[in-house]
Amino acid sequence: MKSLVLVKYVPDANSVFRINSAGTWVDESSLSFTVNDYDRYALEELLALKDGGAVEEVVALTVGPQAASSALRTCLATGADRAIHVRDDALEGSDPLTLARVIHQAIKDEGFSLILAGLQADDDNHTQLGGLVAGLLDYAYASAAMKLSLSGETMRVERELENNELQVVDLDLPAVVTVQTGINSPRYASLKGIMAAKKKPMTQLGLTELGMSPDSVGAGASKLKTVGFESPPKGKGAEILTGSPDEVAAQLIKRIREHAGVL
Amino acid sequence: MATKILILAEHSSGALKDISFELLGEAHRASADAHVVALLLGNGVSELAAELAKKGASEVIVVESPALENYSSDAYRHEILAAIASEDPDAVLIGNTPNGWDVAPLVAAGLMVPLASGCARIAIADGSAKCARKAFNGKFVHHVEIVDQRPIMATMDKGAAAPFDGETDGSVRTLEPTLDPGKLKSRFVETKKSESGGLDLSQASVIVSGGRGVGAPEKLDVIRELADALGGQLGASRAVTDAGWLPHEHQIGSSGVTVSPKLYVACGISGAIQHVVGMKSSGYIVAINKDPDAPIFGIADVGVVGDLFEIVPALTKQAKEAKG
Ligand SMILES: Cc1cc2nc3c(=O)[nH]c(=O)nc-3n(C[C@H](O)[C@H](O)[C@H](O)COP(=O)(O)OP(=O)(O)OC[C@H]3O[C@@H](n4cnc5c(N)ncnc54)[C@H](O)[C@@H]3O)c2cc1C
Ligand SMILES: Nc1ncnc2c1ncn2[C@@H]1O[C@H](COP(=O)(O)O)[C@@H](O)[C@H]1O
Repeated sequence: MKSLVLVKYVPDANSVFRINSAGTWVDESSLSFTVNDYDRYALEELLALKDGGAVEEVVALTVGPQAASSALRTCLATGADRAIHVRDDALEGSDPLTLARVIHQAIKDEGFSLILAGLQADDDNHTQLGGLVAGLLDYAYASAAMKLSLSGETMRVERELENNELQVVDLDLPAVVTVQTGINSPRYASLKGIMAAKKKPMTQLGLTELGMSPDSVGAGASKLKTVGFESPPKGKGAEILTGSPDEVAAQLIKRIREHAGVL
Repeated sequence: MATKILILAEHSSGALKDISFELLGEAHRASADAHVVALLLGNGVSELAAELAKKGASEVIVVESPALENYSSDAYRHEILAAIASEDPDAVLIGNTPNGWDVAPLVAAGLMVPLASGCARIAIADGSAKCARKAFNGKFVHHVEIVDQRPIMATMDKGAAAPFDGETDGSVRTLEPTLDPGKLKSRFVETKKSESGGLDLSQASVIVSGGRGVGAPEKLDVIRELADALGGQLGASRAVTDAGWLPHEHQIGSSGVTVSPKLYVACGISGAIQHVVGMKSSGYIVAINKDPDAPIFGIADVGVVGDLFEIVPALTKQAKEAKG
């Protein structure tokens, strides 16, 4: 069985983010990028299925600029067998539906039985690309998996709900499933893996290879447009204490006593 | 002509969920001439339909089938697409809930229309929409526009919109189901509780929580010592429990435990909505974070902008002295 993981190269979550000068997104110039956290868990699920013999091939795919190939190299070093990098300057600014059309075009003849994606990208939080790809392929679909188990042509998925509840569903393969963080403990690339990755195939696909025209993608063709980006309203807002650590600690103790009745 | 807005009602165990009323409220606010239609999928749900007709829906469309007794992505996708085809709404609003984010992209792909997800507000006029949605887990508001699409599609965050507050005298109609139960690609099996250890933070009166900002599992001792000094329990954001620094039962938020202690201290936690819904009803909230723009300061009572490794030990020392 052939499997695919969709990965996105995103700014490291532990960064302090600033809005860019155009006021359209965060300023990415000073940020370090990494594999979207959710996607690391998705890759680990496929590698575990491969270890168990249920999956023969694990392919990683990203759509993104030159630098995003580093996300694919991480996947290859961690254990993926091959990688597909869809890259074209005209793709810049594509909305999720446009990206999904591009991914669909890149994979529709591959015959993947199982496609995993992250529940959401940590930057744009669109929470939809996996579902869009499933819809375009007409595959079975489930989101926010906290457990996957394969038996024959059926994939049982435990979906995360709220308040510690899970919804168990059965999907007929082929299927797309998005993965929630915490489903497993992702492995790290070993030195051996990093060496081996250098010999693994990484295919580059541009719009020409996909048979798509530049004006069918990118910001121009996208129907979901960014028109602003700002810090959230502060609400009532906290009283902000200032001073040395000992001074703010003393003020905190006083308030905790008065307002929380603790101490 | 009125702007026809279809909302997907959600229910479980025989009761409508809050998101249904929030969607009704937002649909009325979204357009000055909104005609709000609620779509209710289920089996034996006529009482719920009557309730929707009173609490905000101008019309309720009910599709009943044993295959809709419980949610499944394929059955819901099928009937939502069928209802959209027959009703031809200007806009479709769905909750950004576990079932909503599951089915909404399938419907959007079926219609080849864009989907604005995780919105707090939406304004619809002349076939276009402006939405305020969250990005970077709530650290920013991302304003998006959908121009000239039919239908406009969006998912709304839970708790973001006020429920409809009035009374309507809506009508109820039935649509025949069109799905073929034998052909569904996804099938509901059961709902169950996830396993948890013995700890129950829901009753704690003091909670000190650590987030990704703590940086490493061994550094959690700094947080644990403050919890001990305040006579409280140790809590965490999902970033900490997913990384395996603490067991899942310490996780506070929408997919963990909901708490309301007298005192909640958040250290190195940004304040993502999924965390905040689990602790915002705490009596007194203290936030310590090095980012002055962290959303946690928006809901905290008092905050310190700084390095938790400087502030927390100082606080621990004084808390110990205060206890004597
Ligand atoms: C469906 C779903 C369900 C979810 N359920 C939950 C849930 O139940 N509970 C939950 O918590 N999350 C949940 N999440 C995840 C949530 O969206 C956030 O990703 C998570 O809460 C972030 O955790 P954090 O605040 O610790 O990390 P981050 O958002 O990365 O924040 C870390 C913070 O630490 C600060 N910091 C860094 N270093 C220091 C320092 N030295 N001193 C002071 N401050 C510092 C940074 O400024 C930053 O604000 C869920 C997400 C989804 C999609
Ligand atoms: N540019 C991309 N290339 C490949 N996969 C992506 C891309 N963007 C998003 N994804 C996948 O879709 C998931 C959900 O992303 P989103 O819908 O943007 O929140 C991510 O976790 C990835 O698995």
